[in-house]
Amino acid sequence: MGARPGRAQRSRLVLIAAIVIALAALPFVYSDAYLLKVLSFVGINVIIVAGLSLLFGYAGQVSLGHAAFYGIGAYTSGVLAVRFGWPWIACVAAAVVVSAIGGLILAVPTLRLKGHYLAMATLAFGQIAYVAFVEAKGITGGIDGLSGIPSPSLGPLELRSAESNYLLVWFFVGVALLLAGNIVALRPGRALRALHASEAGAQACGIDVVRTKVQVFVVSASLAGLAGSLFAHLVGFISPSSFTLVLSIELVAMVVLGGMGSLAGAALGAVVLTLIPNLDAVVPGMSPRAVELLQDWNADIFGVILIVVMLFMPGGLAAGAGRLAGWVRRRRPAPSEAEA
Amino acid sequence: MSLLAVREVTKRFGGLTAVDAVSFDTHEGQIKAIIGPNGAGKTTLFNVLTGFERPEDGTVTFDGREVVGMRPHRVVRAGVARTFQNTQLFDEMSALENALVGRFPRTRTGMFSASLRLPGTAKEERLAQEEAAKTLRLVGLGDASSVPAGDLPHGRRRLLEIARALATEPRLMLLDEPAAGLNSSETEALAEVLYRIRAEGITLLVVEHDMGLVMEVSDDIVVLNEGKKIAEGPPRLIQKDPAVIEAYLGEEEADA
Repeated sequence: MGARPGRAQRSRLVLIAAIVIALAALPFVYSDAYLLKVLSFVGINVIIVAGLSLLFGYAGQVSLGHAAFYGIGAYTSGVLAVRFGWPWIACVAAAVVVSAIGGLILAVPTLRLKGHYLAMATLAFGQIAYVAFVEAKGITGGIDGLSGIPSPSLGPLELRSAESNYLLVWFFVGVALLLAGNIVALRPGRALRALHASEAGAQACGIDVVRTKVQVFVVSASLAGLAGSLFAHLVGFISPSSFTLVLSIELVAMVVLGGMGSLAGAALGAVVLTLIPNLDAVVPGMSPRAVELLQDWNADIFGVILIVVMLFMPGGLAAGAGRLAGWVRRRRPAPSEAEA
Repeated sequence: MSLLAVREVTKRFGGLTAVDAVSFDTHEGQIKAIIGPNGAGKTTLFNVLTGFERPEDGTVTFDGREVVGMRPHRVVRAGVARTFQNTQLFDEMSALENALVGRFPRTRTGMFSASLRLPGTAKEERLAQEEAAKTLRLVGLGDASSVPAGDLPHGRRRLLEIARALATEPRLMLLDEPAAGLNSSETEALAEVLYRIRAEGITLLVVEHDMGLVMEVSDDIVVLNEGKKIAEGPPRLIQKDPAVIEAYLGEEEADA
């Protein structure tokens, strides 16, 4: 790893570089405000899902309350900006910290819970947060929401345009995926996977399962909080309806669609499922009627995709892509090498 | 001085006394076996010795430190590694990755330094890979390093769990029925591995049903029956011990 990059690793680096260049060049080549806005939302979901992938995909700890951390990040950022006039970067930092604390608060009492019980506890946490967003009117603005959240700005530089916001969001996507990717490639990532496979086995390898679970909850919640902050400043208005159980379930669906033990898969899952209700942004000339249908039937489409993936592609998109890559490699005779 | 001193350890589950005032010592460099009929309390004793269960009574001292009350991961860090009767491998990870997880207590990279790949993480990772590969070779799995643990045959899974335990750099290793389900050639290879581990200076405590293996490899044997220690001594004496013969008689007949 790192020392002797193999063929597979080199082609992966090339692929990553190509994606980065394409994403960075897009607003300069084709600047469509609606497309860029949709892609910004895609990026925000990729950030949340990167964290959820660590927690759920790698460590096997399900969370049906991730919309809560996203919301906590959004409201922390929004409230500090609107009511206290904090500068944007300070709001982002505060959103990350407060969400991390939220993760800690949820992780500690739920440590002993597994499977369905953990799912129920995190679901309850999500509902508690949702009700708090609605009821704490003095702070959050209640059901009417919080408006007038300023655009991101660094000193005199204010990022108002769709282009600049898109680039900002995807810069953070890159950072989040890089950090998470490093975690999964090294010692802590192996500890997460070990925990998932066998807690007794992990303990027998000297892994403190309690500490590891708390850590991954906190990291996962911070990424959701970061995404929430980006969202708040991007749209300028937030209300509780953006942080519901439905979103929490969609996030879990993105991880499952992408592939449980794959960060890239989870990111791809987020891209696909976020684009479906906004397909007109990437498919020019789609009829408004078709878009309407996609949006009305969104939950059903998600459900069908999930069932199909679980039945026919248990490893998700990542495993499917892996099989495809293996097929391509076999068709192109080359000195094969064992992949680590 | 004994490496592991077990004193009057008692573990109850409700009304059942699984381990009843058991005491024994394990000395550095020994291969010691714990035998006894099914339900004698062998696995429960192992769980107590490794922090997975907390005894109602008694003390367990490893290298001068009290083990009772330590959580399992602390026990491993103190130098006591174990395997399980039902292997607890990480099936979707390769053999090498399983052994790499075993390096966990001897490495440091945490979430923060890993996420930023701080200086030192690359070097630690490279060394960990080398050490993990070395333990795989020691148990004869050098050729299987990229195979997912779930795809390995049963005999090699047992060896992989031993390799993973070895990777933690223990001074004492507890093996829970390492020969269970192995054929005779695999059992022979296992005996070879046990000798190799002892040659590395690691003390072994082995729960085992395969009497051929026990009599061949162990320096000393503890016999448990219904939670109590009924005999302790070298193999040739244990074979003749009337209490041991009586405890096993029922089993032997049932097996035959």
